[in-house]
Amino acid sequence: MSEYQHPYKDVTFALRELVGFDQLCEQAGLDEVNGELAEAILEEAGKFGAEVLAPLNQIGDREGATLGEQGVQETAGFAEAYQAFVESGWPTLTFPGQFGGQALPNVLGTAVNEVWQSANLSYSLCPLLTQGATEAILHHASDELKAIWLPKMVSGEWTGTMNLTEPGAGSDLAAITTRAVPEGDHYLITGQKIFITWGDHQMTPNTVHLVLARLPDAPAGVKGISLFIVPKFLLDEQGEPSVRNDAHCVSLEHKLGIHASPTCVMSFGDNGGAVGYLVGEPHQGLAYMFTMMNHARQAVGLQGLGISERSYQQAVAYARERIQGTRRDGSKIAIIEFPDVRRMLMQMRASIEAMRGLALLASAEADRAKAAGDEAQARQHNERVELFTPIVKGWLTEMSQEITYLGVQVHGGMGFIEETGSAQHYRDARILTIYEGTTGIQALDLVGRKILRNQGVAINSLLDEIDDFTRQLASDPEMALLSERLSKALEYGRQATRWLLETGGQTDWAPGAVSVPFMMLMGYLCGAWVSCRMAQSASAQIAASEGDIEFLQAKVITARFFCEHLLPRTSGLLETILNGSESVIALPESQF
Amino acid sequence: MSILLIAEHNNQTLNPTTLSAVTAASQIGGDITLLVAGSNCQAVSDEAAKVAGVSKVLLADAPAYAHSLAENLSLLVKELASDYSHVLAPAGTTAKDFMPRVAALLDVGQVSEIIAVESADTFKRPIYAGNAIATVRSADAIKVITVRASAFDKAVAEGGSASIEPLSQVCEAGTSAFVGEEMVKSERPELTAARVIVSGGRGMGNGDNFALLEKVADKLGAAVGASRAAVDAGFVSNDMQVGQTGKIVAPELYIAVGISGAIQHLAGMKESKVIVAINKDEEAPIFQVADYGLVADLFQVLPELAEKL
Amino acid sequence: MKILVSVKRVIDYNAKVRVKADNSDVDLANVKMALNPFCEIAVEEAIRLKEAGVASEVVVVSIGPKTVQEQLRTALALGADRAIQIDTEQMPEPLNVAKLLAKVVEAEQPGLVILGKQSIDSDNNQTGQMLAALTGRPQGTFASAVKVEGDKAVVTREVDGGLRTVELALPAIVTTDLRLNEPRYAKLPDIMKAKKKPLEVKTPTDLGVELKQHIELLKVEAPAARQAGIKVDSVDALVDKLKNEAKVI
Repeated sequence: MSEYQHPYKDVTFALRELVGFDQLCEQAGLDEVNGELAEAILEEAGKFGAEVLAPLNQIGDREGATLGEQGVQETAGFAEAYQAFVESGWPTLTFPGQFGGQALPNVLGTAVNEVWQSANLSYSLCPLLTQGATEAILHHASDELKAIWLPKMVSGEWTGTMNLTEPGAGSDLAAITTRAVPEGDHYLITGQKIFITWGDHQMTPNTVHLVLARLPDAPAGVKGISLFIVPKFLLDEQGEPSVRNDAHCVSLEHKLGIHASPTCVMSFGDNGGAVGYLVGEPHQGLAYMFTMMNHARQAVGLQGLGISERSYQQAVAYARERIQGTRRDGSKIAIIEFPDVRRMLMQMRASIEAMRGLALLASAEADRAKAAGDEAQARQHNERVELFTPIVKGWLTEMSQEITYLGVQVHGGMGFIEETGSAQHYRDARILTIYEGTTGIQALDLVGRKILRNQGVAINSLLDEIDDFTRQLASDPEMALLSERLSKALEYGRQATRWLLETGGQTDWAPGAVSVPFMMLMGYLCGAWVSCRMAQSASAQIAASEGDIEFLQAKVITARFFCEHLLPRTSGLLETILNGSESVIALPESQF
Repeated sequence: MSILLIAEHNNQTLNPTTLSAVTAASQIGGDITLLVAGSNCQAVSDEAAKVAGVSKVLLADAPAYAHSLAENLSLLVKELASDYSHVLAPAGTTAKDFMPRVAALLDVGQVSEIIAVESADTFKRPIYAGNAIATVRSADAIKVITVRASAFDKAVAEGGSASIEPLSQVCEAGTSAFVGEEMVKSERPELTAARVIVSGGRGMGNGDNFALLEKVADKLGAAVGASRAAVDAGFVSNDMQVGQTGKIVAPELYIAVGISGAIQHLAGMKESKVIVAINKDEEAPIFQVADYGLVADLFQVLPELAEKL
Repeated sequence: MKILVSVKRVIDYNAKVRVKADNSDVDLANVKMALNPFCEIAVEEAIRLKEAGVASEVVVVSIGPKTVQEQLRTALALGADRAIQIDTEQMPEPLNVAKLLAKVVEAEQPGLVILGKQSIDSDNNQTGQMLAALTGRPQGTFASAVKVEGDKAVVTREVDGGLRTVELALPAIVTTDLRLNEPRYAKLPDIMKAKKKPLEVKTPTDLGVELKQHIELLKVEAPAARQAGIKVDSVDALVDKLKNEAKVI
């Protein structure tokens, strides 16, 4: 198994050239923050990820979390790593200073999170879920609850979980049955939740569950769901964990991947009811969850990037070392010299760089919205966040399937053997297109809520921006080839959008039946757009004899590969979309 | 040209690395004077006088030099150095300690750990942990050099008849003192720190047979390792595993016994300086990376090897 | 007591070393740089001495172009109090470094100077000893333990075959070996605070030191590749090869 190294150069280049990190910080009034600081932070994060988290990845896979008398026991070594993680202050990165956070930009948090996800995907889920739970409390809980729970969640001393899914309520949360009954200053929660990531462990003195449940008077459906804080341990008067709450992990799922991330069946109220505290207003639980959703979905998209990067690094290391074949002069050939292996590595690399660019760009939109001078600007950036979110989640995680597949493929037979570690990335990646809304859900979200609902205003504004860029690119002779490819794909994107707005949207089945191809088309188009933008910056730097020439040239070549070998997929996707849904639904259900 | 070479010793015997440094000195050319600085180290100077190629031995015998304190030794060598074109020493921890001090006192640079002599002023030395070899030229009037002993043959220890000249002056800085020392007993070293590793694979047959490896390891002061196949078969515990998922090692000598050479194993030991493979299967991939291969039955080879080392 | 720590910017220890095509040097153009691992240990030891109340201030110094400020910031993030960059175009050779540091020592008057025993690029293992000679101070090289007792430092040194302990009159120079300590990771808030800690830039001229070349680098080559192995036919032949050809036993 190769060692993980943070792709520091590529990340900092994307932050600087694509995101415009310095200007972003300036607009946001963050005087103390700039690219130089971001680089120092990323370097240290990269070191921590490579030296502390990455070595635990394979053992976590082999010796996953187990359930015993005391609850869930995480893989040996994880508790120490988590302790060091908290001591280093990493959980605090983007949270407000008021609760002990460092108030750094969201996009820097995204760049740093990539490190944890690459180094150890299973591990990274724990801080990720904690961040989600913390955000929910931060945005929606009363000041009193915030004061009690936030400081230790921001610091990471206590972890957090999100309890949404029930055996009968997955994608359809309207079916939630967990009950909350008022009792004095709190509620008693009863019910069962499944698929609770890091629902229990021994790494911290407390775990804070955020639980969706129904009040006795709740209306039926999604409008009757409330959100509760249900801690593992109730707090004493000093605010320290004391009495064990009636919330337990009763079983662990046996999974295809991410073995070190305990996926719990949580049972609340087996002994009379788990004490919970209402977050915000009654019946607003689902609305609160939706405000969290963009962040959570983008974070899972980022996991697609993280696992892909790890798989790529491993494939490169193997391809360099694996000697197969002999030249005429008797010297030996490493498989990296074979064109097809090169194709696979280029495909992985070009995809990853595009994915990273898009993830960072999308994440920065949230910072821009926050820093916006007026409401109109803020709305524009928020619209972009909304639009990018399903693409980042859907496209990046779908791409990660192909990339980790190629990672195994580069290894040949050894890839199928667990010991090399490549198979683990392939298995670990598999969950990413499923949780936090499947690819199908993402695509429906994109087509329905983000395009049809606003008659295509948001998507057309994005396509116009890509159009402007493509024209500008065309004026640079060095970039003519890229510009030509990009403008072709842009036209496909426009056609697909027109069809959706004019024809597809008018029929019952069409949007749902072709939504995934539509989302993938937009993914490739956006990927090419960010790749070309980075290539343009790189080319300008080369012309000015600035920077690291080999690295910059590689950026241009990678963008070219993306445009020549991946972007053409948009043409096939367009054709699929235009063919519509007839053959998708033609077969009666009884035929299946 | 004339060379002052500072002998490495323990006040009783000459350290053989000194003999390698003599060879380096003779490649530079010129008279070689050996300085033996120590306390009650007459025996060492007698031994030094016999080394072939040495023309003179200087004996500085005083309590101040008993523990090779760099502060004292460097003052002495600095005083002597002006008569020489080169000052050499074998690059053990003693010379690494005092030689740069000598160089600084002379206001000259030092060429550290040379592995080849190109000419009287030009040398090769490893940089970047041996990942590159630099050729460097010293522009100083007096060239201060430490010598990597393993890169030079040992000079013949007998046959010379150099004169021994006792030195009367005693240099003592008075800023440092020896407190004590703790020398390592000859227990078996850690895998990752060992200079030599003897590893067994599935070919060992069972755990008891690892005793055969241990006998060889004891002779070489080596650590004992194992392949994953041997660990999986339950022959030995998994803390002995060398390979991708075990320990990554890079000793000077790695002896693989009954190991076929799966990629995962090779990944853990291929940076070893010298690799020996002993296997009865001539086609075993381990032979592709081995510097020395012996196609034979390990149960015959190991006792013989233990005996002949 | 003040502690001065000298640190060097070197190739990251994970990075692959490639020799330039023209054999003029190692190619560092496309390579990640980092704090020399031994220097990191030196910083850690100084900070521990400060945390133990032995030292009152930790000053880090590095010599080289502006880029070395990155490593100084790293040291500041780890807990050093202030930094000095001595601005030079190239990384000077050890004797020049020692002369520059001697001037800093003269100005700062530290009770202890801690340096890495060697840098993982040039592998010289000279600077600390040279600084000790130039300042007339005692040295504890290759330290695996450092204790300050009154006006003395007791240093356990890693020597061939074991450990040796020496007592040094302060002020003294210490160079670190790998087992001295395990450096900490910088904390996020400290990385942010490091930006605000003082960093002073000086030049060799400010310090009155003229840089001279003593050792000229003529050529850099990759080490010889592993030669195709040979088969031997007996244990005797094997032992002979190991003794006389490979010289490893």
